[in-house]
Amino acid sequence: MRPPRGRGGGGGFRGGRGDGGGRGRGGGRGGGGGRGGGSAMRGRGGGRGGGRGGGRGRGGGGMKGGSKVVVEPHRHEGVFIAKGKEDALVTKNLVAGEAVYNEKRISVQNEDGTKVEYRIWNPFRSKLAAAVLGGVDNIWIKPGARVLYLGAASGTTVSHVSDIVGPNGVVYAVEFSHRSGRDLVNMAKKRTNVIPIIEDARHPAKYRMLVGMVDVIFSDVAQPDQARILALNASYFLKAGGHFVISIKANCIDSTVPAEAVFQSEVKKLQQDQFKPFEQVTLEPFERDHACVVGGYRMPKKQKA
Amino acid sequence: MLVLFETPAGFALFKVLDEGKLSKVEGLWQEFNSAESARQIVKLKAFSKFENTSEALKAATCLLESKPSKDLRKFLRTHCDGETLAVADSKLGNAIKDKLKIECVHNNAVMELMRGVRSQLTELISGLAGQDLQPMSLGLSHSLSRYKLKFSADKVDTMIIQAIGLLDDLDKELNTYAMRVREWYGWHFPELAKIIQDNIVYAKAVKLMGNRSNAAKLDFSEILPEEVEAQLKEAAMISMGTEVSDLDLLNIKELCDQVLSLAEYRAQLYDYLKSRMNTVAPNLTALVGELVGARLIAHGGSLLNLAKQPGSTVQILGAEKALFRALKTKHATPKYGLIYHASLVGQAAPKHKGKISRSLASKTALAIRYDALGDGQDNCMGLENRAKLEARLRNLEGKELGRAAGSAKGKPKIEVYDKDRKKGPGAMITAAKTYNPAADSILGLMENAASKDDEEKPMEEVAAGQEKKEKKKKKSKKVDDERTNGSVEAENEESVKKEKKKRKKQVAEAGGENVEAGEKKKKKRKHSEVNEEESEVPSKKEKKKKKKNDD
Repeated sequence: MRPPRGRGGGGGFRGGRGDGGGRGRGGGRGGGGGRGGGSAMRGRGGGRGGGRGGGRGRGGGGMKGGSKVVVEPHRHEGVFIAKGKEDALVTKNLVAGEAVYNEKRISVQNEDGTKVEYRIWNPFRSKLAAAVLGGVDNIWIKPGARVLYLGAASGTTVSHVSDIVGPNGVVYAVEFSHRSGRDLVNMAKKRTNVIPIIEDARHPAKYRMLVGMVDVIFSDVAQPDQARILALNASYFLKAGGHFVISIKANCIDSTVPAEAVFQSEVKKLQQDQFKPFEQVTLEPFERDHACVVGGYRMPKKQKA
Repeated sequence: MLVLFETPAGFALFKVLDEGKLSKVEGLWQEFNSAESARQIVKLKAFSKFENTSEALKAATCLLESKPSKDLRKFLRTHCDGETLAVADSKLGNAIKDKLKIECVHNNAVMELMRGVRSQLTELISGLAGQDLQPMSLGLSHSLSRYKLKFSADKVDTMIIQAIGLLDDLDKELNTYAMRVREWYGWHFPELAKIIQDNIVYAKAVKLMGNRSNAAKLDFSEILPEEVEAQLKEAAMISMGTEVSDLDLLNIKELCDQVLSLAEYRAQLYDYLKSRMNTVAPNLTALVGELVGARLIAHGGSLLNLAKQPGSTVQILGAEKALFRALKTKHATPKYGLIYHASLVGQAAPKHKGKISRSLASKTALAIRYDALGDGQDNCMGLENRAKLEARLRNLEGKELGRAAGSAKGKPKIEVYDKDRKKGPGAMITAAKTYNPAADSILGLMENAASKDDEEKPMEEVAAGQEKKEKKKKKSKKVDDERTNGSVEAENEESVKKEKKKRKKQVAEAGGENVEAGEKKKKKRKHSEVNEEESEVPSKKEKKKKKKNDD
């Protein structure tokens, strides 16, 4: 049986979303409100909304002004660490002066006098950020990369991915829910490297016209058949030797067995579809019973050996 | 063989140069590793460019519905005669086959080929660089998304979802405000809270009254029944509340206005929701009512989404927490969710709630599908099903009633009877029936025998000449004959008659089964008396007959 959603996922009143500016940092996605009603890109389910607010402290307060903040590049290209009172993950803002979801921004002056703006990337709101902090070896999303992003929701993480890939890369953001698709399209208006697609990720044929070959697929659809969805999209759009990053929420696939067993079975499913998982990290302090699996697709034989 | 490939810039037709390679699906992708090898396999035959975004949008929307657009048909007609066409969408292939009589193929090899073409697209289509393609797809995707959002199918459902959400919010708000009024005005007139239970009436009364000293002068007949009004006036005289200033009262009255206007707005909104539900989902409304129906739709996201859910899901919609907890701990899953508030489930006895909610959920699922996808605009299907469910409910309750009727004292008897009937074979019934009377009669005989024993001893004593003793013993057997006690010694045979009359009365009073046994006892006694007082036998017998007739 498909798990019926918690209230809010289907289109209940989305907390604090009415006026663009008035939404709290953590609360905006409370109760799965960020992901609306569609069938493929379903809500991540309620119940965890409270936890997301936990990230509030990070990057707050001391980051203002950037006078005491030093920004250093992260191990992953395109990602940076702002070192102030607390360390925070940041990405270079593609559209300077604009915040996408009321996140904090840090402006840093270079030696040559030019200013660079960074946006703080909250790991409680973004699974990709959580995976980066969880110590994943390689996210494969780097400047110039072409990324297919399944389950884009309102486009919070998508905006950071678009920061990372920069003006030379492309992000194809697929989201089925019309409600969050609206926010996604609005976000994409400002970022020309994001291509918003309001479609069901189960039917890649419907957007075959828009999407070219991509280097990386990031999938965050939280569906029981998400491995199949990923495989289907990869068969259409992921180049041979490309990579995938998939976030797995154990509860969405089977809530009756332990999370570890779910991850194992999902990895097995991926292996049957020509995927080669490289590593698996848990998103533990940020999300409960989530794992992020990174791997390659149709890897060349030489490397295998 | 030709390959139709859709790009955001236009349609491309590729000619497959080496069809033999298609048979080896697994190795096909290697051919597309480099642009040179790719050119060995496919070659661009023709390209039809979109003139502008609107044309691209038209073509793209047609493709979404798996229909070839006008331009595509024209393009195919000119470039694709007598060749098979490989397409990425089998439905599109069928449509092309129907309209243009062009043989279409769609299989794994074609999909692999498409992958290959996509990976080397800019190399294969000369004059179409990646930089050109990018703005095309960006423009097309934005206009497509806008188009999709604008013509969202579940527009009406959204109205219902928002309305039911607002209704719930209003209820909550109304309650807090009303409680605030009670609390606030309670300082001034605490007794009123007990006298008027209804929140709205309370607010009305407060608004009308203001200071409680006004109560006596005012006429509350419009908002209160007479006796409550009298009660209020009386309580206002002797209230133990504190005095409040006019300014305080003014503010309280303003809050009352808020409560009343909210209540009015709620009623208005409810009417709106009712009419919306009756047009959008008439059958669902007929089955479960507006509120539950609207909640179900809100929970499913839209009517169409809800229509995709099975009845079992509809049944527990709204009880997810309990469901997943039960699944995790391997306990029994919940029997009802939102549907619990439907009137049909409410009517059912606690024992049948689970059963009726299951039947209701399955009928509801059907009604939802009918509403979402059917052509009918009336609610006769819903009403019909509702009648069926009500019949089922009555049926369930009826069974229960039948069992409950025998539960007073004769329960064991009826249960035995039921069991026999359940066992089925008629022989059993007759056997039981023939057996039971026999047992009864034996029981009766036994009783008689026992009473004979009891009474024969005294009779022997009587035979020994002690009439008084015998009478005493008879009296002691009687439960409530005290008046005769005194007259025992004075009267002889007459008192015996009286006793018998009384006994008869007693027996007449006692109900049911005791009657027979008692009478048999009486008979016994009569026999014994007959032994002694032969002269009186006929009259007694007559009396007894009379009594029997009375019974």
